[in-house]
Amino acid sequence: MRKELFARSLVIFFLLLAVAIPLGGWWISKAASANTLELHARMPENGGWNIDTIQAQVGKPLHLHITSDDVVHGFSIGKSDQPTLEIQPGEYVDTTLTFDRPGKYTFYCDRWCGPNHWRMRGTIEVTGTGQPIPPDPQPLFLKLALDLDAAHDATILPSQLPSANAAGAFTSQIPADLATRTTYLTNSPQSMWKQLRAASALKSQSDADLWNTVAWIWHSQTTSEKITQGQKLYTTNCAACHGETGKGDGVMVRGLPAMTHGTMGHSLVRPPDFTDPTHLLGASPALLQGKIIRGGMGTGMPYWGPIFTENQMDALVSYLYTFALKDSSAAP
Amino acid sequence: MGFALLALLILFLPLPTFAPPPIERHIRVEASMFQFTPGEVTVNPGDKVTIELVSTDVVHGFSLDGYDFNITSDPGQTAVGTFVANKPGVFRFRCSAACGNLHPFMVGKLHVGPDLLLIRAILLGVVSILIGIGLLRPSSSPSVHSGGVV
Amino acid sequence: MTRLDLTRFPWARFLLRSRWPQFLLRAIALAGFVFTILAGLMGSAVGSHNFAIIFVWIAWWSALKLIFIPFGGRSWCSICPIPMPGEWLQRGGILEPHGKGVGLAKRWPRFLRGNWLQAGGFLLIGLMGAVTLTSAKVTAIVLLLILLLAFGLSLLFERRSFCNNLCPIGGFTGLYAQAGPVEVRVKDPDVCANHAEKTCYTNCPWGQYPLALKSSANCGLCMECLRVCPQDNIAVNLRPWGSDLQPGSRHSLGEAFLALVMLASALVDSAVFLGPWGQLKMAAYQIGSLPWFLFAASFLSFAIFILPGFYAGAVWLAARISPSKETFKQRLAAQSQVLVPLGLMAWIAFTISFAFVKFPYVLPIISDPLGWGWNWLNLSASASVGQTTTFGLLLQLVILIIGLTWSARVARQLASSLRQAAPLIFFALIFTISMLWLLIG
Repeated sequence: MRKELFARSLVIFFLLLAVAIPLGGWWISKAASANTLELHARMPENGGWNIDTIQAQVGKPLHLHITSDDVVHGFSIGKSDQPTLEIQPGEYVDTTLTFDRPGKYTFYCDRWCGPNHWRMRGTIEVTGTGQPIPPDPQPLFLKLALDLDAAHDATILPSQLPSANAAGAFTSQIPADLATRTTYLTNSPQSMWKQLRAASALKSQSDADLWNTVAWIWHSQTTSEKITQGQKLYTTNCAACHGETGKGDGVMVRGLPAMTHGTMGHSLVRPPDFTDPTHLLGASPALLQGKIIRGGMGTGMPYWGPIFTENQMDALVSYLYTFALKDSSAAP
Repeated sequence: MGFALLALLILFLPLPTFAPPPIERHIRVEASMFQFTPGEVTVNPGDKVTIELVSTDVVHGFSLDGYDFNITSDPGQTAVGTFVANKPGVFRFRCSAACGNLHPFMVGKLHVGPDLLLIRAILLGVVSILIGIGLLRPSSSPSVHSGGVV
Repeated sequence: MTRLDLTRFPWARFLLRSRWPQFLLRAIALAGFVFTILAGLMGSAVGSHNFAIIFVWIAWWSALKLIFIPFGGRSWCSICPIPMPGEWLQRGGILEPHGKGVGLAKRWPRFLRGNWLQAGGFLLIGLMGAVTLTSAKVTAIVLLLILLLAFGLSLLFERRSFCNNLCPIGGFTGLYAQAGPVEVRVKDPDVCANHAEKTCYTNCPWGQYPLALKSSANCGLCMECLRVCPQDNIAVNLRPWGSDLQPGSRHSLGEAFLALVMLASALVDSAVFLGPWGQLKMAAYQIGSLPWFLFAASFLSFAIFILPGFYAGAVWLAARISPSKETFKQRLAAQSQVLVPLGLMAWIAFTISFAFVKFPYVLPIISDPLGWGWNWLNLSASASVGQTTTFGLLLQLVILIIGLTWSARVARQLASSLRQAAPLIFFALIFTISMLWLLIG
């Protein structure tokens, strides 16, 4: 009978051990990470981030213990230069964030993880004293009251891809009031071309040369660094739908109907072909910026306002124009 | 002993094979949960193979057994890699970026030349049946033996 | 036939007769089982980081097919924890039987006997395989249900009714244990004939009578008979592989069906898990969707009608070639022995193909069994992608060829002439070629 009792206690001992390891381990790690928030990334179809709103305090470090439950995700903070983290399924990444301004921040996944990837966004609410996050200046499209959903197809088109390099000889003749930052931001290449065409100083130039001049003005408003930065942003955030070559044939929009302005607002559509000049030559930087900030248009285009800084937006827009205006500094 | 020798011969005897001159190949492989399209790729020995990996839903990878070849692609970011198919045979390629529950089984096949191993295996199978039923004695000199068995 | 009785070696005899080694293994296995269930329920949702997936489907499932069965027959059953809680209650003692146990000890219904339910259970697992194999939670729930089912049935029915008639793994192990190199037999039948009490039978949890044992299929190697035999007349023999497969041995129709289900499952699992057909994988995975119903319907008709149809056709042809007194049903049962080595080797090859690639996952999981980012043993590193090697491919090839040779041999031994054996050998050849194509082609 003593043997039997010993056997029984052994069984109980082993069973307790089996239960104690996960339960105790869970308890211990819970206690050891009392100040740490465990964040699980999941595809939007599987529930997205397990926490939508994170509370934090100014000056107090926020410890995050991040993992993915399904596929590779990323963790980024919108409008910040916080390096992005790669989140591998089943593996943990730790990071500590400290905010010095109260306000709302956006955290988001920056690795495409399905057609709804962009919905993986959450908010970090930072409370406490201090200068609040400076509000964004009113975007230009609002100031100008642009109708983002209106058709803006260019009707005057160059016979070949305009090139900033080819414009060298005429640039000194551009009326000074046309080559400013403001005219760049508020005019589509087409309307710029019309104004150049109307300028008496350029009367003798051919239509094609004026298109090259437009390309030159667009080029003068950016740098090769900006274009590289814009291309990087485009590749990570836009190419999955707009296509790696800008043709609007990205992997996420396959099988969707082509966009026409008549169908806008009704269903998901394929984005327009940027390499077709009708689209970009009729759009001003302010309009493109507005579309990126607000998104929507009823087309499935996400809104990027909380994600991109003004500089990033500017870089992205100047990269977009390289699909329609050849630029020596643009990456091929 | 004799059988082992015969088996080794069937499996490893070098055969003169007709090999077309190597060419360069561009192969576009699409990766989605949990398949490669095309799932089977055929090249000739010596071909210089460029794989364009296009992920259509989440991050996927393409890692080729037997070759030191691994690329990863995000949706919207085609990954490109090149290798020389200098080993004949059939090789599995598998997804190398965890992509969900069936990720461990996301595989495809690369055929480099004809699948000689399968043909040799079937040949060996037929010979081994003869051994199994005693028609072929696994002795030092394989000889056909009819009648009384076992 | 040559046999080596292990009980002749004092140390082996001690290890087998003493209740402690087996008890310890069972107790540890039971705790491990409970831990696995908890890990599956509480641990990481990512399979490669969860003990339940890695240990059940890579470590244990491989060990069963690569070690336990080919080198020990039903040796896993002798330490399997699943029936233990129930059996301890039935016997009224954990270490040894004591007094009157708990349970109604009813007889298992006659019409539910045999391998049919086991085969059905195995098919059911196969239909859900893509999810069970990859989801730690589902694995844990399945294990828990099996544990509870075994426990519940042990309270209702006598002895190991669950293991004998229901457990799908028991069916698998029992079938292939006939080819295994271990058996429990009596040393001297005359001693038993003169012994009226049959302590071995009354104490056998499996309801077997060692004197009547002809096949190892239903003996769980629990060693109870060895311990209770007053005459020390029980031998635990090492024997040549495949000893149960010969003319005159008894086999049932249910066993034939089980063997065919196993062959079909080996083919389907190879195609689903190791094949390059993504849509097939998704169909198998999305339980309840239309593609899954198509998959389930094809799988079931393949396992229940098509493959058995080919087999029946081969047996029918063999019967046409050389008629005998045996009925067709008897032939179907008897010839199924041919399928045993064929299936065993196919499953081993499948395991090599499947698990060798995934073994790098096993060590890191010990360091972090729940996938919570622990690192007990400083082993946690991302497991590499893994790949098949030329060695692995050749090993699969050799294993499959051995299976073919072996089953051809069994077919020849069962047949009165070579011509009569030919249809079944052809069946085995086609099956082997299919497996070769799926695994190494």
